[in-house]
Amino acid sequence: MMRDDPAPRLPMALSAVVALALAVLPLPTAIDAFRPDFLVLVVLYWSIESPRAGGLALAFLAGLALDVTRGVVLGQHALALTLMAAWATHLRLRLRVFSLVSQSLTIFAFLSGYQFILFWVDGATGNPVTTFSRWLAPVIGALIWPLLTGLLSRLHER
Amino acid sequence: MVAFRNSDASGRTSGLLLRCVLYCLLALGLIITDKRYDHLGELRRFLSVVAYPVQVAVASPFQGWDWFRENVSTRASLEADKDKLEAQLRLANFKLQRYEALEAESQRLRALRANTADVTAHFIIGNIMHLDLDAFRERVLIDKGARDGVFVGQAVLDAGGVFGQVARVEQLTSEVILISDPAHEIPVQVNRNGLRTIAVGTGDTHLLKLPYLPTSADVVAGDLLVTSGLGGGFPAGYPVGTVAEVKRDPAQSLADVDVRPAAALDRTREVMFVWLNGDSGSAATSPLPATTATTATAGATATKPPPSTAQATPPHPPATASAGPAHSPSPPPPAKPRGAPP
Repeated sequence: MMRDDPAPRLPMALSAVVALALAVLPLPTAIDAFRPDFLVLVVLYWSIESPRAGGLALAFLAGLALDVTRGVVLGQHALALTLMAAWATHLRLRLRVFSLVSQSLTIFAFLSGYQFILFWVDGATGNPVTTFSRWLAPVIGALIWPLLTGLLSRLHER
Repeated sequence: MVAFRNSDASGRTSGLLLRCVLYCLLALGLIITDKRYDHLGELRRFLSVVAYPVQVAVASPFQGWDWFRENVSTRASLEADKDKLEAQLRLANFKLQRYEALEAESQRLRALRANTADVTAHFIIGNIMHLDLDAFRERVLIDKGARDGVFVGQAVLDAGGVFGQVARVEQLTSEVILISDPAHEIPVQVNRNGLRTIAVGTGDTHLLKLPYLPTSADVVAGDLLVTSGLGGGFPAGYPVGTVAEVKRDPAQSLADVDVRPAAALDRTREVMFVWLNGDSGSAATSPLPATTATTATAGATATKPPPSTAQATPPHPPATASAGPAHSPSPPPPAKPRGAPP
């Protein structure tokens, strides 16, 4: 619980901005669908590791940033990110003692939930994206989770 | 002691639930307001200005690299470029000789009918910022916005032909929906025989479809499609694409026509925003606040030649294709009803 106490605002903001940049970084069309949701992973990390520092506010603001840069209906990513961050915060004590593999599996569930909410809002606002490839991002995201959590905890310890 | 109790598991969880519900209600409220009432232009514009530094930071290395490549090119490549451009210029001049005569003739004929040509009044060049908006939609961000007089529904061209139209305008940037976006439809005409129909995007940058042509329609591979100008969003006569393949299945009443876009949708870096005669930069930008609207008009009039007085073009009609996240119904194919008998 030591980690809960100091609010690592700076690393949080920094990692969120970097993740946002990665989310809008141009990639060739062929591998674009494989891009993991970096910002979601970062938000999930901070929700699990340091929920006191305002993980939900971070989730909401990051979601708004995604809405604006993606040009979709305002609030879509904010809703999905807030819900998933809240879920992750709720399960954080269990998640911290999980092995990396089970953590990745849980992260996969979070990311799928996130995509599902996006999918649902897309459909509800009359803009359905039915490509199957949108469900690739959760798989890739879960695969890079161990890497990302190592990187972010390094940043966090500083 | 109170602080300690606040931080125990149950207290935290209820607080979490409360905050989660609050944020979710806020987000749902935003979604509904944005979707139903379209009152969030201000907020969105403000947020986009906040997000702009990130977008610029990401785009700048790529632009820097382009700049570097442009500035550090060898003499040989410059000469090759020059030769190529000269050849293109010769060809263009050659075509232009006839064009001038034809345009004069067309003006005379139209004058007879008391109807001026729907020519483009002026245009500005915009650069594509190298950014992916969404992997599943064909949209790009361009570095010209409300400040430059760009408005929603405005036609965007590139050197090859029609590129797309403006879907959303921010202060400094605008989002352009490509003609290959699945939600985009553009009224076109077969240049050879004037057959009118609608070209629909597929989500594949190299492919459009003509879904509303009956199997008996006179269209063959190699036909050039140009904008018909119907619906008013796009100027007439600009190339949209060439027919790549026509599949006619006798069991179907409609033909399956593939079209290759004329514009280099995935390669171009510069695009043109086009103003038709009668468009004013601020006409369609009603949600702008007063200050930006005036700057927009000022910007538009500064670069705009004196408007032609001959004709009162209707103010910019609703965009022909869905120009926003909403898939508004586009006009039905003008001439050929579905499955019309030959």
